Amino acid sequence: MPAKSRFTRLDAFTKTVEDARVRTTSGGIVTITSLLVILWLAWGEWADYRRVVVRPELVVDKGRGEKMEISMNITFPRMPCDLLTLDVMDVSGELQMGVHHGINKVRLSPESEGSKVIEVKALDLHKDEASHLDPTYCGECYGAPPPTNAIKPGCCSTCSEVRDAYASVSWSFGRGEGVEQCEREHYAERLDEQRKEGCRLEGSIRVNKVIGNFHIAPGKSFSNGNLHVHDLENYLKDATHTFTHNIHHLRFGPQLSEEVIRDMQKKQQATGPGGWTNHHLNPLDGTLQTTEDKNFNFMYFIKVVSTAYLPLGWDSAPTRPAKYDELLGATIDGNYKGSIETHQYSVTSHKRNLMGGPDSEDGHKERIHARGGIPGVFFSYDISPMKVINREVRQKTFSGFLVGLCAVIGGTLTVAAAVDRALYEGVSRVKKMHSN
Amino acid sequence: MNGFVESGLSEDNFGEAKGGLASFDAFPKTKKTYLTRGRDSSAWTVTLILTCVYLAWSELSRWWTGNTTQTFSVEKGVSHDLQINLDMVVAMKCADLHVNMQDAAGDRTLAGELLRKDPTNWNMWAQGKNMHKLGEGEDALPGWEELWDVHDQLGAAKKKRKFPKTPRARGPLDACRIYGSLDGNKVQGDFHITARGHGYMEFGEHLSHNAFNFSHAIQELSFGPYYPNLQNPLDDTITTTPDHFYKYQYYLSIVPTIYTDDAELIPLLEAVNRDSRHPGRSVFQSSHAIKTNQYAVTSQSHTVPDNYIPGIFFKFDIEPIMLTIAEEWGGFFALLIRIVNVVSGVMVAGGWAWQMFDWALEVYGKRSGSRNGGMGMLGVFGGKEKHSFD
Repeated sequence: MPAKSRFTRLDAFTKTVEDARVRTTSGGIVTITSLLVILWLAWGEWADYRRVVVRPELVVDKGRGEKMEISMNITFPRMPCDLLTLDVMDVSGELQMGVHHGINKVRLSPESEGSKVIEVKALDLHKDEASHLDPTYCGECYGAPPPTNAIKPGCCSTCSEVRDAYASVSWSFGRGEGVEQCEREHYAERLDEQRKEGCRLEGSIRVNKVIGNFHIAPGKSFSNGNLHVHDLENYLKDATHTFTHNIHHLRFGPQLSEEVIRDMQKKQQATGPGGWTNHHLNPLDGTLQTTEDKNFNFMYFIKVVSTAYLPLGWDSAPTRPAKYDELLGATIDGNYKGSIETHQYSVTSHKRNLMGGPDSEDGHKERIHARGGIPGVFFSYDISPMKVINREVRQKTFSGFLVGLCAVIGGTLTVAAAVDRALYEGVSRVKKMHSN
Repeated sequence: MNGFVESGLSEDNFGEAKGGLASFDAFPKTKKTYLTRGRDSSAWTVTLILTCVYLAWSELSRWWTGNTTQTFSVEKGVSHDLQINLDMVVAMKCADLHVNMQDAAGDRTLAGELLRKDPTNWNMWAQGKNMHKLGEGEDALPGWEELWDVHDQLGAAKKKRKFPKTPRARGPLDACRIYGSLDGNKVQGDFHITARGHGYMEFGEHLSHNAFNFSHAIQELSFGPYYPNLQNPLDDTITTTPDHFYKYQYYLSIVPTIYTDDAELIPLLEAVNRDSRHPGRSVFQSSHAIKTNQYAVTSQSHTVPDNYIPGIFFKFDIEPIMLTIAEEWGGFFALLIRIVNVVSGVMVAGGWAWQMFDWALEVYGKRSGSRNGGMGMLGVFGGKEKHSFD
């Protein structure tokens, strides 16, 4: 070896002169094997680096003054559309009587005839039935004060307006016998005709994001002071009506397209067990509850939790046009790469007979149901203060990947060197023993 | 390195270079005659080995402890019932007590018919050895619940699931032990213990106000399946009052919780939780997972005027977010890889450090004679092995 400076002495990678080196077949095998091992492990590192996992975070929901979309599709096979009313109430005092927003009532043929779709109508019924009337016509309200939103102020031009007028003073309306407007519109006949029909409510409503409830009950509703009352006369008259219902879906927040859900589920698989487990599943979807009793009340206690899903690079993606927030029933499709803001919920279901009494049917004879109330399906929802954020992340950064790669290569080579050394020494000893 | 085994141990394979595979050998060995042993290198080797053992040991112990992950999800599935387990002693006669539950669904549960009431002696319970006031004693230590590992929880859940019998009373029967489990609706509710004739309308003689004493000791208050050995915040707490018209209020927030020591089970657990008729529902009876409910509690108590209702009131609400606490062990193979990593890292780093040291000595001229070439990366092995084989 040539003379060396101080820095040459520092060389950690001292080289052995070629003459002094011994190469063995075993060494070659060890080298090739270790190379294969390195390739395999490095590939694993690469896969790890490319993998996208979803990490849940829990934060306090700081959004305020928000609105929330409730999207539903519920079938009532034994309730005609004319009888169904949907009311939305919230604790902030906003009572949305007879919601007229983006909900369609779908008339279904009687259950015995297979519940086929007859007609789709917006929830707003009898809208333009009075158009053929004489412009000077002013219908009588039969003693009730005319409704404020009447087509013609001070008059009850249609049957529906007479019903509204009656509801506003808590009078029961019945079948409209003797009421000129209703007889003209064949209200009673239509009721009879639809008696065996079913109804499906589908569409969305937008509510304030505060504690509240919405319910589907028979008859026109009216609020009298603190009391919320439904006109049950027509419902109770007919024995076939019950609140048997089938919830096809109930969702808080925008619809996610199939593509988005499939993508989320794939990412969830990649995260593995113990990681993220929230697939967008609405617990009430596909719930069927039946009853033969018309005085029956179903309640769902729902707790709504805001949920955001942040895909990789969500902050650089273009934001969703504001018009989607205005639009009811908008779908988030697969092209959208920004943050997905929606809601999940947990639910407890409860049902009771309006007659009250012990719940011995369900095997809880010590549980006594409250008496009274309105037959119907009630959803009362509560908003959780927590928000779940599911964030897509890469498990490793690029430098982390490089570190991992170096560790793999270095570690394997070192171990291989040790193995090789041991082999070499061992074999030379064996050889020596044999030669002796 | 199996390839080597397959190729057999024939001596030819280990001969001097014969071309072929041998030319691939990236680990050229140096003949012993070319190797020297460094000064003090055996001491150095021992140090390195000790370091290796220490690091490997810490790695092993970390593996042994496992790591606990907590995930949360919004509870899926449609729930119905919530079981409440109660075991408490109130310093009043059983006949004078009313136990009821009312919930947001409008149901009233006659808890008194489901729970057992045994007359007993108050002092016997008040002097129980673990009894403490809420928020005092070990409760006051912050984070005491952290002491409970998942496997401790699972172990505790394995124990017997029956309420203990009421011991024979020593002294007057001036108290009542109320215990048992009942099912309520899984909604916000109010469980209360009041005095006869106060709170609920009924017939019967009026109870003297002097008989009121809502001092009470809670042995157990839990939600979900009954696991007596799981520790809940209200367990073994006692409060006493000399007043007759006194109202205790507890506000509970219930958080559904799953404990498991096998993270692989989580998807199954979630599925079972979602659907109570799931074929795999017996998993919660196994020793690997339990489903229970934790709760947070705040309490409030004060005297009330005559026109209010005295009693003990538990108001509870259920949180929508469910906790899943899983304890995970990395695989044995992963442990092996880590240990090998540590050992080889120490060896390499040690070899380099040794060289630095050697070089530093030389620079300061403390060394007279010239020293042969230092040890390379593999030199440490070489030196050590040579030593042992000689």
